[in-house]
This record gives sequence, structure tokens and C-alpha cells, in this order.
Amino acid sequence: MAAKEALEILGKISSEFNFKGEVRRKGRIWLDTPTEGFVDFCRWLKEQGFEHLSAISAIDWPGEGMCELAYHLWSYLDKTLITLKVKIDRQNAVMKSVTEIWDGSAEAHEREIHELFGIKFEGNNNLTPLFLEDWEGLPPFRKDFNWREYVGEKYYDRDNERERVYYD
Amino acid sequence: MPIKESTKLKRLIKAIWIFNWFNSCGFIELIPVVASRWDMERFGMIIVGSPRHADVLFIAGYQTLKSIKRARQVYEQMAAPRVVIALGSCTMTGGMYWDSYNTIKKLSDYIPVNMYIPGCPPRPEAVFEACAKIFQHVEEMD
Repeated sequence: MAAKEALEILGKISSEFNFKGEVRRKGRIWLDTPTEGFVDFCRWLKEQGFEHLSAISAIDWPGEGMCELAYHLWSYLDKTLITLKVKIDRQNAVMKSVTEIWDGSAEAHEREIHELFGIKFEGNNNLTPLFLEDWEGLPPFRKDFNWREYVGEKYYDRDNERERVYYD
Repeated sequence: MPIKESTKLKRLIKAIWIFNWFNSCGFIELIPVVASRWDMERFGMIIVGSPRHADVLFIAGYQTLKSIKRARQVYEQMAAPRVVIALGSCTMTGGMYWDSYNTIKKLSDYIPVNMYIPGCPPRPEAVFEACAKIFQHVEEMD
């Protein structure tokens, strides 16, 4: 199987699915994907050679009331990185897990995002926190989490003269 | 008759067995103390593999909320008399992580600390000076 150019891959995706995407530069594709049928689309992409899930990143958009997930998939054959961008509701942040496709690597990424952004992944049965044991309150990477305020309440004493500087 | 604490400590400082609990950059910064240039073995100090064998616990760098629990477990495994030396400004005030939601700020709120060594990182000389102070203190004990 010969290696394909990014445009060729995008053309193939558009012929099968009705997604909006663009070639950012050589070997780099961005694709807006809906949540419906996302897992099936991922499975299809894996069959096309995108076998490596490099990372899942999350972006919080409080203004839009959305959380965005970006799945970075790499194809060793085509030397192409494809980024799937999915927007989900922020209040009820639930996403289908891709652990059935990428197994362990997906599990770790989803665990981290669940811990830091509070996004639940349906189908991932190991979402125990990695770092934040006994964490209460907002997930710390949400933009409305005020960490200075949190630290001031949890660790420092405003009445202590030597710690008052932390509040200024 | 029970043996006095000072007698025990005087026996102990002839050969100090150290257990390291290093979370962050602290380990990298203490390697010179162990290695040939500063060579802590000339003072009878040696790193051991288990906290159960150790007399002194070196804690370096910031502790997260998760790691402090493990640090306490390490501390509790050590046999008395035991000494805890905290290295670096992170153990004293949180250092550059003073406003981090996930790191503890003052180590002595969690574990009894015998001596803090300031610095970011502390120089090997500072580590030796701290140890010398403890030796001296033990020698002067009744």
C-alpha cells in the first residue's frame, strides 16, 4: 500500500462521511467530528492506518458552554497526523470511550481528562484519579476553577501575618 | 534500665544510614553529595534501600497530596530514634509551587521535621553543614 498525501486522505474521508475538515499543512489534518458515530468513525480510521493514538487533549470553553476534545491520531504509513475535534456539552460532559479501539493508551488519556476536566468517558471502566486523591470541588483544569482562591482557603490563613502576602 | 535517647543517638551518628524520599528535582540536586566529589561516605553516611534500616530520612522537593501519604508511610516504617531532614525551599513554604492546588506547603504540618535546609536547590555544603550541626547537637546531649 503506497503512502497517501493528506489531501488524498481528506478526500477519502469526505467521500464516506460528511465532515468538515482542512489540511493545515503537509501531513496535518484537522477534522470537525460530531459525537454521533464517533467511535465507529475512529474504528474506520484505524482500519485506514491511523493506528496510533498519540494523545487526547481537552479544551474548556466556558463562554460557549462547551468542552472540546482533540484526538490526535498518527498513521505510520502515511506519516500523517489527524486531529479529530469534538465538542460536547460542558454541564453534562459525557463522551463515548475509545478504549475498545486503542485500549491502554486511550485509557490513560481518558483517565487524566476525567480527573482534570471532569469529563466522563462511557465505557472506560478505570477512571480512578491518577494524582488527585480525595479531591473535592471543581476539576482543576476547568477555567472557572480559581486556584488562588482554592489555595488561599485550603492552605493559608489570612490572619497569619506572614501568610497575608499570599492574598494580595 | 532503658537506654537513654542520647546514648542511642551517639551510637547512631557513627554510621548514618539514610533513606531518600525525593519527589522532584531534589534527587538530581543531591546526587553530587552521594557521588565522588563531595562523597558523603567519608562522614559515614550511606544510602540504604529500605526505610526500616534507615536512621535519617531525607525529604527533598515539593510533596503532592498523593505523595505525602506515601512519605508518611515511609516515615512510620523507620525505627526510632529517627531524624527527618527536609531539603529545599519547596518543603518549607511550597517554594515556586506556593499557589499550586496539589502540593503541600509546609512539610512539618504533616511529618515531624528535625531540620530544614533552605535553598533552591541547597548546595552540598549546606547539606553537610546541616548534618554537622546535628552531629554536634548529639555530641552535646546529656
